[in-house]
Amino acid sequence: MGDQERGKLNVHSYSAELQARLERGAPGELVVHDPGPLFKHKLADEIFNLCRANSLWPMTFGLACCAIEMMSLGMARFDISRFGSEVFRPSPRQSDLMIVAGTVNKKMASAVMTLYDQMPSPKWVIAMGNCAISGGPFAVEENYNVVEGVDKLIPVDVYVPGCPPRPEGLLEGILKLQEKITGVRHPFPQRKISDAPRY
Amino acid sequence: MEILAENRAVHADLEPAAPCSNHYYLNMGPQHPSTHGVLRVLLEMDGEYVVDPQPVLGYGHRMHEKMAEHKDWMAFMPNTGRMDYAAALPYNHGYVALFERLCGIEVPARAEYIRVITSELNRIVSHHLWIGAMLLDMGAFTPILYTFDDREQVLDILEDVTGSRLTYCYFRVGGVCKDIDDRFVEKTRAFIKRQRERFDIYNKLVTGNIIFIKRTEGVGIISPEMARRYGVTGPVVRGSGIAYDVRKNEPYSVYPNFDFDIPVGRNGDSYDRYMVRLLEMEQSLRIIEQALDQLPDGPFLGKVPKKLKMPTGDCSFAVEAARGELTYYLVSGGGDIPYRLKIRVPSYSNLSVLPELCQGMLLSDLVAAMGSMDLVIPEIDR
Amino acid sequence: MHPDTEKLINALRGLSLTVEACDYQQRGYHFAIDAESGKLRALAEVMLEHEMFLAFVGGLHVKPAIEIIYQFATYAGACRFVVRVAVAPDNSVPTISDIFQGANWHERETRDFFGVDFTGHPNLVPLILAEEDVDLKPLLKKEEALKDTAEVRWAAPVEAKPEVEKAEQG
Repeated sequence: MGDQERGKLNVHSYSAELQARLERGAPGELVVHDPGPLFKHKLADEIFNLCRANSLWPMTFGLACCAIEMMSLGMARFDISRFGSEVFRPSPRQSDLMIVAGTVNKKMASAVMTLYDQMPSPKWVIAMGNCAISGGPFAVEENYNVVEGVDKLIPVDVYVPGCPPRPEGLLEGILKLQEKITGVRHPFPQRKISDAPRY
Repeated sequence: MEILAENRAVHADLEPAAPCSNHYYLNMGPQHPSTHGVLRVLLEMDGEYVVDPQPVLGYGHRMHEKMAEHKDWMAFMPNTGRMDYAAALPYNHGYVALFERLCGIEVPARAEYIRVITSELNRIVSHHLWIGAMLLDMGAFTPILYTFDDREQVLDILEDVTGSRLTYCYFRVGGVCKDIDDRFVEKTRAFIKRQRERFDIYNKLVTGNIIFIKRTEGVGIISPEMARRYGVTGPVVRGSGIAYDVRKNEPYSVYPNFDFDIPVGRNGDSYDRYMVRLLEMEQSLRIIEQALDQLPDGPFLGKVPKKLKMPTGDCSFAVEAARGELTYYLVSGGGDIPYRLKIRVPSYSNLSVLPELCQGMLLSDLVAAMGSMDLVIPEIDR
Repeated sequence: MHPDTEKLINALRGLSLTVEACDYQQRGYHFAIDAESGKLRALAEVMLEHEMFLAFVGGLHVKPAIEIIYQFATYAGACRFVVRVAVAPDNSVPTISDIFQGANWHERETRDFFGVDFTGHPNLVPLILAEEDVDLKPLLKKEEALKDTAEVRWAAPVEAKPEVEKAEQG
């Protein structure tokens, strides 16, 4: 984030908290408290990560259009439960994945950060859709209200582009996140299409 | 008692405004599963009862009106699909029709029919979503699985012609951007047949369910007089027994060519609003059926100059969106970019009833009443 | 058409307001009224009496003063009124939120976007914008883009036919 952009965001101060976060640095350098692994043992850690990756509990947190596609993903056709993520929790304290599905604006910014802080570690964030990635269609010259990218507020693990992304896109995002957590792509082991069982 | 008095003296500034009040504040939203996105309601509560619910808007404000003043019509088209994302095509329709009215552009008949067919399909999709979401708010998870199944069938059809699943940008000034083919007609007819059979399931699952009836009947009654003071429109006002539908009152496009009814409720409670929407889906199917039968041949996009030259003046266009009357009011100072575009969104007025409607209600009833209004928050905030 | 349109028009003329009949096909509304801010409340009461509802309230930033636009419609038929009220020199307009409760939010929103003061409004606090943005007024035009009232009105009288418009198009 360049100085110019930051200046633009700062023109109308909207929350002291946001200010403080912005001053801490670029998105990649955000200071996030990480308590480290539960056990200092490599195998135990790997097993934990495998479990975490296959039971990501997303938070019910729809902001705009993308939320409808997120709902579609949870329903019968796309069926996110095949990958262990169907347990949408309404409370941030019970979830470990935040899918930022939609536009974050000034008024919402502090709420997004509060929710992120309320989630227990380890936690992950998927920025779903162009608005959450960069402001999308609202990153225009006369912008006075939309935060141009949720990564200015909280660290993001996976970006899923689209306006809105298709449910398959979000599904790929979740698979990507599982890959990030465990180092291997799930479902594990991978099968060639020719080996897939025929029903 | 003395200690209490002493305490009171110490904390005099913390004393509630009304001395013996047991009221407390409850913050619902902006992240709450039953506020459909980012609505926040600040509730003053007395035990389980709501004393004063005050919605706080703006968590989804996306500057659409500001952006309209800096873009020509084509550049603003994507925005129209992103206001009410659950039913984007009526928003497309109102916007292009506004320019057609202002500049006196003729639209080929085939294009008007395509617009009506796709808009009505979109209305059904929106109601699918609403049934699922409302029941989800009230604690029933099963119906949403059924309605989303049906929803996907329509989305497949719409995706074939519009190219997107949700935030459509399909209409153009002078027509639509892609023609429909026989496959579309075939699939739509198949869907109509399927959907008619599905109503049975809805009725068995929801409409006759005693828990559902007990939770919605007599809850959130909007009287016709109250509706008028707030400017309530759409299924919400029809639930109160007023047959107000822009498609009938100020017919636009080719709606006068179709025979359809406006379902109205009797009591104006949440149950009536539910019934009105359910019956409306059947009426939409009827419209689509007739439109497919009458579908004329011809061009799908008329001759339109590349750069529209608008006359100076103001112009208004109202359409019936899935949630009520949507009015675009454009003020033009000439040129091709609007001077000011005011967008009257239906849910905005519908929601403004809430403080008066839900006073003295149980908190769980407020959720049922709010669910029956079918809110889309980024549409309200624009 | 509204069943009692005649009656309504007469009642409005009784307030010595000029009701201009418009071409619906061209403009999308039936009648336009330019009212002074002093007569707004009386006008709103007449509208309420005659079964009209308030469709929206919006602002329009023009020279010499910001205009507030009210649109009224009816459940009973097709009858739309556009009422334009120029704000007083101290940037204020009387509120109609006690007559049409629906105006409450519309007026708060207009205050957010244009900074217009609705006198008598019970709760004129920011609705859409964040509380820190009280003085943002995002929809005010920049000086160079600001137009005169006459520049955003229909130039020709109402008789202008759509055909004439089209000829200009070509």
